[in-house]
Amino acid sequence: MRKNNVYVIIGNSASGLAAIESIRRIDKSSKIINISKEPHQPYSRCLLSYYLAGQYDRDILWIRPDDYYSKFGVEPLLNKAVTGIDIKAGIVEISNKKKIAFDKLLIATGASAKSIDIPGADKKGVFVLRTLEDADGILKMLPNVKRVCILGGGLIGMRAAYALKKRGTAVHVIVKSDHIFSQMLDSEAADIMRRHLEANGIDISTGLEAKEITGKGSVKGIVLDDGNQLDCELVIIGKGVSANLDIVKSKVKTNAGILVDEHLETDKKGIYAAGDVAQAYDILEERTNMNQIWPIAIRQGKIAGLNMAGEDTKYDGSYGMNSLDFFDLAVMSFGLVKPKGDEFEELIAIDTNRVLYRKIVLKGNRIVGGVLINDVERHGILLNLALQKIDISDIKDILIDEYFDFGKVIPLIKRQSRKFIRPEYRDTAEAYQNV
Amino acid sequence: MNQSKKIFCDITKCIACRTCELACAVEHSTTKDLFLAMLERPRPRKRTFVHFVERNVSHSIACQHCEDAPCIEACMSSCISKDEKTGKVDIDRSRCVACWMCVMSCPFGIISREIDDKNKAVKCDLCPDRECPACVDACPTKTLSYETRDEFLKRIKEKETVYAKK
Repeated sequence: MRKNNVYVIIGNSASGLAAIESIRRIDKSSKIINISKEPHQPYSRCLLSYYLAGQYDRDILWIRPDDYYSKFGVEPLLNKAVTGIDIKAGIVEISNKKKIAFDKLLIATGASAKSIDIPGADKKGVFVLRTLEDADGILKMLPNVKRVCILGGGLIGMRAAYALKKRGTAVHVIVKSDHIFSQMLDSEAADIMRRHLEANGIDISTGLEAKEITGKGSVKGIVLDDGNQLDCELVIIGKGVSANLDIVKSKVKTNAGILVDEHLETDKKGIYAAGDVAQAYDILEERTNMNQIWPIAIRQGKIAGLNMAGEDTKYDGSYGMNSLDFFDLAVMSFGLVKPKGDEFEELIAIDTNRVLYRKIVLKGNRIVGGVLINDVERHGILLNLALQKIDISDIKDILIDEYFDFGKVIPLIKRQSRKFIRPEYRDTAEAYQNV
Repeated sequence: MNQSKKIFCDITKCIACRTCELACAVEHSTTKDLFLAMLERPRPRKRTFVHFVERNVSHSIACQHCEDAPCIEACMSSCISKDEKTGKVDIDRSRCVACWMCVMSCPFGIISREIDDKNKAVKCDLCPDRECPACVDACPTKTLSYETRDEFLKRIKEKETVYAKK
């Protein structure tokens, strides 16, 4: 007989939801409590920029049915911040001093947008884009905005820039590094994307930083570190995110995030962490790493939930990847895109006329990263070869070929069948040996 | 054991005639007629693909409706789901925002970006209006089959033993 546990899950985004769903698959009767500091039903914050762009209604954000909590037998404690955790006693304290006892705890508190420390950063009209309130706040101001300045040329900054351009607002992006997407793309791919964004009317300045936000009560402009000024009525900060560690600092082992083992358990037994707050082993970079993306959060939540419910399940490790599509030009990347060191080799194919770019990073005989512009359909094939550490030496010559497709992988499945774990790989290659 | 039906390909029989691709596009057209479908805009899109494995060896592949499908985990609008009974992995196109996270994670590279039509992800839906998917019915060499994994693997194995006896 299984003991009736009380599961407490802090956070109701990707990994929190995935954990609830995998716990319930195994354990139908135990109590599950889901605490969230946000007042809303579960929503997908990744969709906020799509909502901001006006391409979709607010309804698109709700990623679970209205009766989700009752359907899964979960007690929701929304709009409640966790104020303390007593790991020894197994108690979580929430904002109204209420104490909640748990047997298994999942910390899926996510991450928050980083702000900037410059004069004027507290003025009305300075936003980040992380929560529904942020998006609604931006939209409310938008009718009186002629120009938006975006600080940061990363994923969030550019998504916000694209969204507001789609709304018809003038957009100027200020990027500190020499290239946009400096984390996600190599400089060649970044330059292709930059030309495309500029051709579609988004202004981009690189190598510059805002040193002040001007205006009386609300934003009137920014001052750049080269002395120039830009008029704008709205500033969006896209300087990345940092893990929400406040409630667990000094209680579990942390670095940039909460360090977790291959069961997504922290250094304290029964306390798990998943999603943007967790720092797990990165398969492609071969070190612990913050991979704060939706698919990783779902996977980690799912595996953490299984382990919490007593189903011993190993987590393979995390990895970075991202997908963007701006004005019908798609770009994707995964793993190491800017490798440093002799052990790496880069395969590159560029076709400027058709705006195609393919780069694959190899370490010895295996793939550890890649960047694709336009020819993105093969991304998943390459990613999965990388994750399974497949020896690609037999197909190295054609990997970046325009005509590369899954067919070319089939001989590898036969030769390295033990590494190709998915049963579907066997389905596709089973008949091949007869040829 | 997974006993749901899906499309399998016997590589030894494929002659790369691409009839499956054509049948797929026609089935997913508005008119469902080859000649009229060619005139439709947006153009009907195939969801199955003929690839060359090596010289003179080809296969046809569409969505594998994976048991542990990476596209479902990757989808940030949670619009991809697996039907527990039929095993079918389906995209709710009304909720797809074209983030291409599914394209990014598919191990087989068979999810396409439909760019004509408000940008949505497209892949094999096992032909919901038909008993047997159009590609399987159309395949002139019986390369494609619609059956369970057990049935397929058994059939391939039997074939091997027959050859071995000869």
